[in-house]
Amino acid sequence: MTELETLERATPTERPSRSRLVRRGVLFAVMVGVALVMLYPFWVMTVNSLKSQNQFLAGRGFSWSSWRTLTSTIPIVQEVISSTIICAVSITLILAVGLPAGFAFAKLRFRASTAIFLAIVSAMMVPLQAILMPEFVNITRLGLTGGYTGAVLVYAALGTPFSVFLFATYFRGVPDELIEAGIVDGLGYFGALWRLVVPIAIPAIATVTVLQFIQIWDDLLVGLLFIQNTSERPITVGLAVLAAGRTTSIPALMAGSLVSALPAMAVYLIFQRYLVKGLTMGIDR
Amino acid sequence: MSITTPSVRARQLTLRHRRQLSGALFALPAVVLVTALIAVPIGQAVYYSFTQWNGLTSTWIGPSTWTQAFHNPNLWTALKNNAFLLLAVPFALGLPLLIALLLHQRVVGWRIFRSIYFLPTAISWVVLGLVAERFFAYEGTLNSIIHGLGLSRVTTNMLGYESTALSALGITFVFTMIGTNTMLFLTGLATLDPSLEEAARIDGAGPWRIFRYITLPHLSRFIQLAFVMTVIALFSALFSLIFVMTGGGPGYATTTVEFLIYQTGFAQGDFGTAALYGLVLFVLTAIVGIVQLRLIGSDDRA
Amino acid sequence: MAEITFSEITKVFDGNVTAVDRLDLHVAEGEFMVLVGPSGCGKTTALRMLAGLEEISSGTLSIGGRVVNNVLPKDRDVAMVFQNYALYPHMSVAQNMGFALKVRKEPKVEIERKVAEAAGILRLSEYLDRRPKALSGGQRQRVAMGRAIVRSPQAFLMDEPLSNLDAQLRVEMRLEIARIQRLLGVATVYVTHDQIEAMTMGDRVAVMRGGQLQQVAPPQQLYDFPANEFVAGFMGSPPMNLLRARAVIFENRPAVTLGSQRVVVPDRYTASHDLVRPDGDELVLGIRPEDIEIVEGDGGLSLETRVERCEALGSEILVHLSLAGASETVSSLAYDADVAVSRLPVLVARVGPQSRVTVGDTLRVRLNDERLHFFDARSGVSLRRETP
Repeated sequence: MTELETLERATPTERPSRSRLVRRGVLFAVMVGVALVMLYPFWVMTVNSLKSQNQFLAGRGFSWSSWRTLTSTIPIVQEVISSTIICAVSITLILAVGLPAGFAFAKLRFRASTAIFLAIVSAMMVPLQAILMPEFVNITRLGLTGGYTGAVLVYAALGTPFSVFLFATYFRGVPDELIEAGIVDGLGYFGALWRLVVPIAIPAIATVTVLQFIQIWDDLLVGLLFIQNTSERPITVGLAVLAAGRTTSIPALMAGSLVSALPAMAVYLIFQRYLVKGLTMGIDR
Repeated sequence: MSITTPSVRARQLTLRHRRQLSGALFALPAVVLVTALIAVPIGQAVYYSFTQWNGLTSTWIGPSTWTQAFHNPNLWTALKNNAFLLLAVPFALGLPLLIALLLHQRVVGWRIFRSIYFLPTAISWVVLGLVAERFFAYEGTLNSIIHGLGLSRVTTNMLGYESTALSALGITFVFTMIGTNTMLFLTGLATLDPSLEEAARIDGAGPWRIFRYITLPHLSRFIQLAFVMTVIALFSALFSLIFVMTGGGPGYATTTVEFLIYQTGFAQGDFGTAALYGLVLFVLTAIVGIVQLRLIGSDDRA
Repeated sequence: MAEITFSEITKVFDGNVTAVDRLDLHVAEGEFMVLVGPSGCGKTTALRMLAGLEEISSGTLSIGGRVVNNVLPKDRDVAMVFQNYALYPHMSVAQNMGFALKVRKEPKVEIERKVAEAAGILRLSEYLDRRPKALSGGQRQRVAMGRAIVRSPQAFLMDEPLSNLDAQLRVEMRLEIARIQRLLGVATVYVTHDQIEAMTMGDRVAVMRGGQLQQVAPPQQLYDFPANEFVAGFMGSPPMNLLRARAVIFENRPAVTLGSQRVVVPDRYTASHDLVRPDGDELVLGIRPEDIEIVEGDGGLSLETRVERCEALGSEILVHLSLAGASETVSSLAYDADVAVSRLPVLVARVGPQSRVTVGDTLRVRLNDERLHFFDARSGVSLRRETP
């Protein structure tokens, strides 16, 4: 590196292309290396799923059998459907609750709104485990464990503070004049919300959706505790339970893992930009 | 504030009142949801932490539950485990920083690499835990590599021994955080004004100096945010990994406070103590959060 | 039918900030009224109270003879053009323009007809399907106007609509807006900080400062007969020269001294102006740059000056002159930072581009004796007894 440095310093206007290429090449090689490490889990899952149980124990072999019998070894279709429903309902709830609230805190100041906003946002700090026991007991008493309802409510409550924060931050950037133009044109505040604010909130909606989707789809604890009916289990719980049982065919488990990983990955790849925006939202303000 | 014209009485709500009313109504569902499912349980947790509780009936005991809890060796083991895991944080921040710097060089195809590096973040930690379990297990990949390198004497069963299981967990944790933190730092680098870097280069500064005096100060806010997010994840998001990789064992070697709560409450049925542990965790998280607010707040004022 | 009356309208914000102080203003049907003044003078607040976007602290506001203090914006039948246009980004031009009508549930055919008509007037017909982000600044501004026109309101309210446009476009749009307003004959209240817009567009101009109305009159009247020092210095560019002078008696006639020089006040002013004051008392003499002429020899109201600086504008030269024997002639009493005032004892004069004046020259200048202005040194009020 130092040689390159001196070279570059000596001829400040003219970069020697050869050393630059070498430098680029080295960087590229390193990046490939890192990529291989990051892709390792996929490699493991793929390789291990393409063996039969026996082949796996033997340590070698190739077979589609684990995939073919996947649906009979693990109730995978059912679990994927469960996960999908849970995600869809939870996210809808989070958006339906968070968007109007974010708009209210950003544009429709009312008495104590700043204090309430801070209170909601600080709820982001509360880890689930801190409220887990009372939450569990409450939900059980209401008879909402068993099916999706309890879990959905918990996911919605956990996701709302962040969603409110994100929407409020986003809407702060919307000029007041836009809303006022709507008011002068004849809208009430609900009309303004529905016809003006929601259409321009699409990027924020996408951000919340992506982040919450990954969170909820990949979650274990809530699904494990709040969904007692095995028939309504989400996929992550299904996999975890089987893994803990240690009697399942590992290849089947790996195949199931791949299936579980795909939707979240797909959502991520499609909505990449929004995800990045969401993560850095707190900084730019 | 009020209209003083005597003959006209406001029969309708003024615009301001309408705005305030709408605001309150729009915010109401969120407030209700958060209060009912987060605020109320916290209060309950505080109450129940002073009781003997099995989820159905509770008997008030009083502050002695807390003193008792802190005499429980399991809690201390868990706290120690949390503390030990903090050692992973520098790695969970440093590696992504290097990778982000790498990506920032904009070598050919960097966008594809970026997507690849973030991909594991989308995967459930349950799945990552399963893969890690395969890696560290006695019949697992790590040993295969070691055998392959001819170092057969060093074969391990990391997950099987108390002394090494936590490290395995920590390594896995670092892996999971790489995607998010890299993305964060990359965004931070992208917001850095390139003309600062160019000016420094013209002034004769080498890459190390540029990094130290220009890049790093700019990134400090991002590093702070990453630090907080990483520590919070460390304290409250490892459940899936632990559940799948070790079940908290061997013994209590990989039981963090977070996992202890689950175990105490659901495996042992001791809801009261679990609620108590939950509050301990909350306090730990809150401390980190407050520290963050202080740091970022003072940054703004500076 | 569509006249507007502000009667003792006052707006006090939290923290006892009085943004508008007892404003009395009447806008006749079809009139183009410009509210002008520096930032913070209350003009925008007044406009927003008219729109219903700010609450009125006290006073009565009526539109079309109806008191509207507590009427919601949508029920006041006024249309507003915002400074940043506030176009709905997710809607096309046609949808933006037709939105208010849609909210009122007018039949679709009617909406389309009205939008097409307005688009024709504004020359936007080809852009009806575009989104705002695909339009230039000038086009967006026209869409904002179109949105207002389509509603056929009782009044147009415009909040500095031209301030975001570049200079060239501003000149064009000034004409456009004036043309359209005349065409439609709707009462318009137009807020701006640009006195050129005020001069060229308004039927009448209301000058505001610190929440208070300074003067309201047709533009030329404001220019020729400003009611106080502030209006005098605000309207017109380069601004009127305002010189601190002292009243004296010279040969039984009123005169003023500017430093060591003396100017006798022409007779015509003694009747129309209240110039009687103790000897040596301060007052302010105003003279516009175009009313100063370079002369040879002594004649009329002339002053000895020295050229300090010249600014050649192509069409004319602005000559900055210092008064011989004066060190503190210029007034700054009634000015705030917004109005340009020279702190050096200089006069600014306009001369033709051919004039060969150089820095350092000593010149004799003559003041047009029909175009003098006198103001009270403490209050800034014009000493003219009554406005013609």
